[in-house]
Amino acid sequence: MDTARRDAFLEMADTHKGILYKIARLYEKDEDDRKDLLQEMLLQLWLSFDKYDGSTRLSTWIYRIALNVAISAYRKQARRREVREPVPETTIGADPETDELLDRLKAYIQELRELDRALLILSLDGNSYTEIADILGITPTNVSTRLSRVRQQLRQKFNP
Amino acid sequence: MQETEFLNLWKSLDERITENLHLNRIQAEEITRLKIKSLLSSMRPIKVFALAVGVVWIVWVDGLLVVTFGNASPFFWWSALFQVVLCKMAVGIYLYQLLLLAGTDIAEPVLETQARLARLKATTLSVTRILFLQLPAWTTFYLTPAMLRDSPLLGLMIQFLVTASAVVAAGWLFIHIREKNKDARWFRVLFSGREWDPLLKSLELLDQTRDYQGTRTS
Repeated sequence: MDTARRDAFLEMADTHKGILYKIARLYEKDEDDRKDLLQEMLLQLWLSFDKYDGSTRLSTWIYRIALNVAISAYRKQARRREVREPVPETTIGADPETDELLDRLKAYIQELRELDRALLILSLDGNSYTEIADILGITPTNVSTRLSRVRQQLRQKFNP
Repeated sequence: MQETEFLNLWKSLDERITENLHLNRIQAEEITRLKIKSLLSSMRPIKVFALAVGVVWIVWVDGLLVVTFGNASPFFWWSALFQVVLCKMAVGIYLYQLLLLAGTDIAEPVLETQARLARLKATTLSVTRILFLQLPAWTTFYLTPAMLRDSPLLGLMIQFLVTASAVVAAGWLFIHIREKNKDARWFRVLFSGREWDPLLKSLELLDQTRDYQGTRTS
């Protein structure tokens, strides 16, 4: 029974690992802090796994926990920041022009306030307004209004 | 840059982030075997400890007040009473924090959870205000009517200055240590240092959640 539960959890985590890694990458610049954050996300998912009742989509439930853990990470950061300062990341790929744009996009997302960052990540990930509203706990109209503001800023940043 | 170009760029970023990604199954499995409590439960022990120490202190001072009623110096008695009343308020705040913690679920919508956690941390401000408010009591509890009667004028003046300064400082800080002043220079100086960073961050997050919920006051 316990093994079956553990296997089900590991399969779920493996299927949705992209969500966890993406959120960790965009909320934590430091490599070691990012590993800690990922571990914390997995731990919280495991601890809440029994409580998942299927009333929301599995991805909604995972997004909620991952974002809540990522946004709450500041409680532990103060101590760690004293030791390590984040090193700026550079993307290395085949096309330098795309790499530069990717670095700018990543840097822009990381500069956003925590909730705006969550909103943009959820939107770029292809979630509908209703799904985003469900994950964040606001109305779809509110999602639409705030998202248009964030997108406007994004456009201005890329098309000065 | 157009919307579709952003989406394509995001897809590239998504691919870069998740490329060659494999969940460390052994590490993930180890996590499922850990006997660690949740993120929220880990915040509980320090609050329970503060609550326990507070209750012991209150019982002790209350007992002292009852025993010394009518016998002790009025300065001591009223100072102790003032201090213990404030201490009870602080204990009340710790109880409120434990209740907030008990009602928080990490799988709830992000705004709800973050608003609750930020509010919880922000109540630390109230505890700080109360701690400052009891400052004058520590400048008067040792006085006796005989000391006031027999002390030289200079000694009385120094005592008066110390107590008056404590009253003014405590009153000012009690009134002004508020969330709305979080951006003031003196506030940042007072709450500078790593141990206060989570508090300042939680005040900022509280602002964000209010902004999203349309209930921002300032």
